Amino acid sequence: MALLFLLLRPILLLSLFHFYPISQSEAASGSPAGEDFSEELLLRPLPDRKLLAHFHFQSRAPHTSSDGRHHHLFPKAISQLVQKFHVKEMELSFTQGRWNYDQWGGFDPISSSNAKPPGVELWAVFDVPHEQVDDSWKNLTHALSGLFCASINFLESSTTYSAPDWGYRPDSGSLRYGSLPREAVCTENLTPWLKLLPCRDKAGLSTLMDRPSIYKGYYHSQRLRLTSSEFEPEGVGSGIVLEQTLTVVVQPSSQRTVRSYSHETKLQPSWSLTSIFGRKVSSRCVLAKSSIVYLQLDGGLIAELDSLQNENKIYSADNYVSEGVRSNAFFEVSVKPDRVLKELKGVEKKNPSVLYEFSIDKYDESGPFDLGLTWKVPVAWSCQKAPLHVSRFLMGSGNERGAIAISLRSTELTDELLHTEKSEGRCKLEVKVFQVVPWYIKVYFHTLQVFVNEEPQAVSDVVEKMRVSPSVDKLSPGVMEMLLKFPCGMKSAAITLDFDKGFLHIDEYPPDANQGFDIPSAIISFPNFHTSMQFLKDDSSDKSAILSKFEENSAVLAYTEVLLVPLTTPDFSMPYNVITITCTVCALYFGSLLNVLRRRVGEEERLKNKEKEPGRLRQLLFRLYAKITGRPLEPVESTTTSSSSSSSKLGFIILVAGIAVFWQVYYG
Amino acid sequence: MAELTRQTPQCGTCSPNHSVSVLLDSDSHRLVGAVDFDGDDEAVDEALQAVFGVGSGSGAGGEVYTVVVVNRGGEEVRAVVGKYRNAWILGRVSEAEAVAKAAEVFVKVFVNGGKEEGLIHGEFMPVGADGTLVLSFNLLNADPRDWIYDWDFQTVDEILLAPMVEAMKPVANISVESQVLYHVPKSSLSYWDDNWDSYIFSTKDLPFFVNSNEWHLDTSIAAGGRSKMLHFVVYVPSAKECPLLLQLPDGQISKTNSFISPMWGGVIVLNTQTCRKDSESKHPSRHTILHEDLQKVFEVFMGQFRQLFSFKSDNLYVGASGTYNLLPSERGFTLWELDVLSRMHTCFNLHSCATTLGSLSRLVQSLPRMIIKDEIGKQVKYSLEAAKLAQTNASLGVYDASAVSSRQARSLAEDAFFHPSIMSVSYYSFEHCFAVYSPFFLPVSMHVILAALREWRRYKKENKKYLVWKAKMKDAL
Repeated sequence: MALLFLLLRPILLLSLFHFYPISQSEAASGSPAGEDFSEELLLRPLPDRKLLAHFHFQSRAPHTSSDGRHHHLFPKAISQLVQKFHVKEMELSFTQGRWNYDQWGGFDPISSSNAKPPGVELWAVFDVPHEQVDDSWKNLTHALSGLFCASINFLESSTTYSAPDWGYRPDSGSLRYGSLPREAVCTENLTPWLKLLPCRDKAGLSTLMDRPSIYKGYYHSQRLRLTSSEFEPEGVGSGIVLEQTLTVVVQPSSQRTVRSYSHETKLQPSWSLTSIFGRKVSSRCVLAKSSIVYLQLDGGLIAELDSLQNENKIYSADNYVSEGVRSNAFFEVSVKPDRVLKELKGVEKKNPSVLYEFSIDKYDESGPFDLGLTWKVPVAWSCQKAPLHVSRFLMGSGNERGAIAISLRSTELTDELLHTEKSEGRCKLEVKVFQVVPWYIKVYFHTLQVFVNEEPQAVSDVVEKMRVSPSVDKLSPGVMEMLLKFPCGMKSAAITLDFDKGFLHIDEYPPDANQGFDIPSAIISFPNFHTSMQFLKDDSSDKSAILSKFEENSAVLAYTEVLLVPLTTPDFSMPYNVITITCTVCALYFGSLLNVLRRRVGEEERLKNKEKEPGRLRQLLFRLYAKITGRPLEPVESTTTSSSSSSSKLGFIILVAGIAVFWQVYYG
Repeated sequence: MAELTRQTPQCGTCSPNHSVSVLLDSDSHRLVGAVDFDGDDEAVDEALQAVFGVGSGSGAGGEVYTVVVVNRGGEEVRAVVGKYRNAWILGRVSEAEAVAKAAEVFVKVFVNGGKEEGLIHGEFMPVGADGTLVLSFNLLNADPRDWIYDWDFQTVDEILLAPMVEAMKPVANISVESQVLYHVPKSSLSYWDDNWDSYIFSTKDLPFFVNSNEWHLDTSIAAGGRSKMLHFVVYVPSAKECPLLLQLPDGQISKTNSFISPMWGGVIVLNTQTCRKDSESKHPSRHTILHEDLQKVFEVFMGQFRQLFSFKSDNLYVGASGTYNLLPSERGFTLWELDVLSRMHTCFNLHSCATTLGSLSRLVQSLPRMIIKDEIGKQVKYSLEAAKLAQTNASLGVYDASAVSSRQARSLAEDAFFHPSIMSVSYYSFEHCFAVYSPFFLPVSMHVILAALREWRRYKKENKKYLVWKAKMKDAL
């Protein structure tokens, strides 16, 4: 009986899953294909007086028999992309600014999936035979660069992308990864991204995307994540899921004068949607299944508030986790939340965070939605950090060689965790490093050195697994995947690699080559650590997209800085300088020769003899000339002297030419 | 008969002036009994096809067009062109009249496609160089806050479009896709008219109707680099501009409420039933366009599609010697129309191939310093060969093969023209040379000019002196 039930359960679940979109569409009395769309916004105050705004749009297209040719809500372009290039999974991000892992958190679902390296990052998994993956990748980059108005097509050349084996994601073979650290991201990338939304920025939460306020923030990352099960047998997956997120970190301008408290902490800035984005949400996108705004209070903040409450013996009924309360002793929310969700305690979890849920269904033009948060008491807290603080830098000087160093520093979290793990007896901290270096940075992998607590260590003691594919000149980049295992109680660690700088052909230099060359971020991930947040216990299917995203177990990872390597650059104007100098010299020579040839010596003498009374100016000039040449001023008579004077004139010309040449060489 | 055939004017639709072999078959035994001309046109057509269709296709691939003249009294003269390659003339006609009519049917309908002059010029054919055509159907909800319309395109595709796509296969490889867009207002203005009790937009506003800023129609990754896209748009106006009607230049209201734009596609304005928004409800009403309405819409689309291929959207042809009924096919295009399209397509391809190669040769001649790779020469050679093949096949009547090789000729010619090496060479200009050498020639020319000036001045002075001296000498003498 039990066996039968077990067998039945997946079928039941499957059928539930299958019927669900249909019943939904019937309720909406429209879309027969069952495509749906939802929009959500998460706001979170950050410890360094900034605010995180995370827009999350999700479109889904179920399996259809029409091969994805007919669409109602789902963007046609994306579906065609999936069909044409057999994309199984894909992620494209446009980022400007660097995520601050210490201040903004490094151990939560948002930082692990939305903190991205600056510029463009693209990875894709294809569902094609191994030998066709590269072709698919090239075609995909071209299609995406057309779709998003970006130079993603530079990722086409084999020197810019790599095929990570296990260092980045488990899918080996058909995964390709590439990034363009120098790509500038601006509105021309946002507009095509918005076009993929059914309401674009005409209605709904996306109306908040006021371009100036988004782009003046400290960090913004626009991301597109695609998961498709189109090529699996019918009914296995959920079709194509397109996730579009925009993560912005902005500094709310404090409206009131900041009162200074006796504590060292200042009052957190109060903000509202109008003060951040300059707009309000006047209506929801009518096509969205749900449009919800969340306000998240960090676990650290909640703990701090708890301790404040205990300290000050504020004992009031209006607790910040109770439902339907706008104001409490610490802060005031301008809109009454529809629901307050408290995070369920995880396995190794610390302080639970709290979510305030606001549904914007009931707001319209007459009463637009404008969420605000006003602080009453100064609070200081810190976000949960990643197990290790990661940074990467360059060593050495000169244009010939250098070294890349990755430094890892333990944070308080690692200390805690290691304490617990020590008590359990197993003591290791695994770190995965994935680094791609362009071919003109010739890394010598045998020079790998590992330092733990500033003591050099044997490489074999620390490096558990390593896969290296050395760069080939003008063909492929150098890829390094490493699994490191560090001992407990480690305070700091460093990895260094020496490299030589290569030479490029004159055609291969980018414009403004003197700025230097960017080395893409390395990815440091921690395979032992996973992060997830669960807010609801039930597995009900009407869970919002962002919450179900939070529930997924995502690996904790951190991107390092982009490195800027100066390479020797040729003097690009040199050919023109040479041309100019040569031409000037030739022209001077030609001119003097012409003058000499043209001169009639005898005639000039006759003229001079005739002009016994030269003009005043002429006399003056002659006097000056005599002074310069240092000869007595005397009217010349004989032919010999006249020839000598003409030769001195020639000498003068050569002198001038010499000065001109000198000028050209040193100042030209 | 021979005179009449020679009288046939040269047709503008690319077919060269060739001789037409006419087979006069006065033997009516085959027809009698097999065909009942009193039945309806469809049945007659089928019966004629059963009689004549068997024989066609044999031989050197040449298709045979048949005009049957049935001479009998009583009725007025009626001429019908069937769905296949047959036409028949019924009624009391004299022999000369019959011959004139038959010639007209052949020249104007079978060869020319019964096209109206000045509708769309025949030299444009909305089929890509690789022979593919993407039909993109878009349902546009101007403002989804008022109402949201959706359609069941899947069934439409299967029932209405699939036969047409199948029929067009010899001419173009058609793929169909659809999407629904929201928040896409039109960009032209419309005004309220009390006479019609509706909003009116006139034909002079049509160029501004398509709002290319907001209507993001043209993102099809499925369409390859050389395929052609046609957009068909169903526009559902918002509550502010409903009902929206199209006024023709003569003041009448368009019956179909739609218009086409050559080589782009067509637009249909679909007004909602009531045009009233239920204000109480916060959520917009959702509707699915009923199948009957959709069928009407697609009939209009079919007409537009035929017009884009420069065919008539109605089935009457008014010729010089009377009116001809054209039997419509349920597949959109009749067999003889497909023949016309095939010829047109071939001709268009050859024409564009010739233009491309012509401009390539002009380019090469204008830049004598340019280095041309052998590969380009090969491509040009193959393109010309393919074009020649297409021409011979077309004159033999093997339209499928000629369409294929004409396509090849065109794409090879374009390959040659857009070869990357030409691109880079054409940017190296004469100005570059000038810039390199000017630092030398500019100062040198200054010297030369100054020297010349001085010499000239000296010459003038000396000359004056010489003249003075000469005069003096004369005086002295």
